[in-house]
Amino acid sequence: MSTHFVRQALIDPRDAPVAAPIHWRRALFPTPVIGALSLLLLALFALFGWRFLQWSVVQAHWLGDSSEACPGEAGACWAFVIARWKPWLVGNYPSDQLWRAWTCFAAFALFWIWVVRRSRAASLQRVLLGFVLLPVGLFLLLIGGGPLPVVAPTRWGGLLLTLLVTLATFATALPLGLWLALGRRSRLPMVRWLCGAFVEGMRSVPLLAVLFIAATLLPLFLPSGFAMDLFWRAVLAFAMFNAAMAAEVFRGGLQSVGRGQREAATTVGLSDFAALRLIVMPQAVTAVVPALVNIMIAVIKETTLLSVIGVSDLLSAVEIGAKSPAWIGEPNILISGYVFLAVIYLTVCYGLSRYSRRLEVRR
Amino acid sequence: MTTSATISAASATIARMQGINKWYDSYHALRDIDLQVSSGERVVICGPSGSGKSTLVRTVNLLEPFQQGRLHVCGIDVGADEITRAARLAVNRRVGMVFQQFNLFPHMTVLQNLTVGPIWGSGIARNEIQELAHRYLERVGLMDQADKYPAQLSGGQQQRVAIARALCTRPQLILFDEPTASLDPEMVNEVLQTMESLATEGMTMIVVTHEMAFARRVADRVIFMDQGQIIETAPPDDFFERPQSQRLKTFLGQVLKH
Repeated sequence: MSTHFVRQALIDPRDAPVAAPIHWRRALFPTPVIGALSLLLLALFALFGWRFLQWSVVQAHWLGDSSEACPGEAGACWAFVIARWKPWLVGNYPSDQLWRAWTCFAAFALFWIWVVRRSRAASLQRVLLGFVLLPVGLFLLLIGGGPLPVVAPTRWGGLLLTLLVTLATFATALPLGLWLALGRRSRLPMVRWLCGAFVEGMRSVPLLAVLFIAATLLPLFLPSGFAMDLFWRAVLAFAMFNAAMAAEVFRGGLQSVGRGQREAATTVGLSDFAALRLIVMPQAVTAVVPALVNIMIAVIKETTLLSVIGVSDLLSAVEIGAKSPAWIGEPNILISGYVFLAVIYLTVCYGLSRYSRRLEVRR
Repeated sequence: MTTSATISAASATIARMQGINKWYDSYHALRDIDLQVSSGERVVICGPSGSGKSTLVRTVNLLEPFQQGRLHVCGIDVGADEITRAARLAVNRRVGMVFQQFNLFPHMTVLQNLTVGPIWGSGIARNEIQELAHRYLERVGLMDQADKYPAQLSGGQQQRVAIARALCTRPQLILFDEPTASLDPEMVNEVLQTMESLATEGMTMIVVTHEMAFARRVADRVIFMDQGQIIETAPPDDFFERPQSQRLKTFLGQVLKH
């Protein structure tokens, strides 16, 4: 037999064999032990699912305009949700001006659809710009002025307020966080030290504490005659806290851009600032977009803390609804409101997390 | 310029290093380097790894600062204590560089890679530099790749883009830091040929490389470095046929046998 092999005819590529889908029995019961575990989990799932179905559908009360519609503790009280959902979405916004609130929701939804459906990550800068410009526009629309009657932020509430605080936090925390991250890399020791101290300080304090400081202590330090709405103080607290979070994210992004990129930028004649703006920053920001979306998810959930300092966000709107005279009754009324809340938060946050996952996969 | 770095009258000397010493912490990386490169000259630097040859070329465009000595490059004179960002910028607007790892900008197309420096660094008009960029892309054989991203190109193509990028800054001198060391073997030649054609057109080049055949064909002068110092400098024929120092003889014996 010869050891010198020469192929006479080249092999053309063929299709890969189609793998048979894994049978459910093999997936769930590969061994007796795992099979038993699967059964146990399925049983628990079925039990819990059945209980929840009983509570939320079979024994639920759907119609009515007071707590009398929901007697007993057995079933959910969707009548409460159906009767009260409007103020949960917009708070005490004047009813003749409600179109402005609905416009905000529509603008937000349209922006989001545009973000999710855009074809390539190339428009990233525009998306981030949208996150900064959108809340400014919505604020102007909601506050009014000029031809529109002024509506003070104290009258905003519910989901509208939650979304606006989220967007406002983003619009301020992102640029501030970027500056902080750059400041920590500054050549000036004082700038480096101050930015580092701010970020580390904010990261070491619970958000609730920051909120309380903003709500109760801040007015004492402000110059007299300079009153700041509770709403704005809350936004300020959120912005500062999340700027520190964003700063850490941006810092990681800036570090992920290798030294070779900066050196190459130098050798083609770019100044340090031009290199930062044109070479380092775009790559750093692209790298951290999923992490930024995660911060946004966290902010949305953190807004529930607003209810503690007396800003009427979505959570406190529901609680206020359950305390109104018509709806004082069994605990299942409030619980139904909470479940409704959970569904809203779940929808928004899960959507966002899917989006961030998609961004991660795309790169 | 705010420093005492001054622009002197143009001369035939493009780069001159005088008594340059550099330390990384306590490690003495460059020791008493004296080197003069004339306009149009092709200098190849070789030596074992860790001999300081990369550090030396990176010192020429001030990517690496040095602690002692004077550097005179493209009419700019910089002492060890005068290395400012302004000086580095001034040098880099006259000196091009090609890296071992290409260091193309991954978020930009090939064309943008070529034009970003001249447009934002030197303030050259966009259409003017785009025209030049297309000319250089054609010269490195990549005119139909202008709108691709670096990741879509092979290593050899990327390095040729990097060469075109360096050319677009209209440098008086191009530094090559092991330009073929991270390429697959079959792509080495396309890059070397591009460099060779540059050399025949009279571009002043300082090349750090292990490609001895290239050094032989192209170099006017070959420098052998070891332990941070220049051990031997000679025209290629003398360098390869009649090495004087024992270190170079040993090195050539190791490199050329394979």
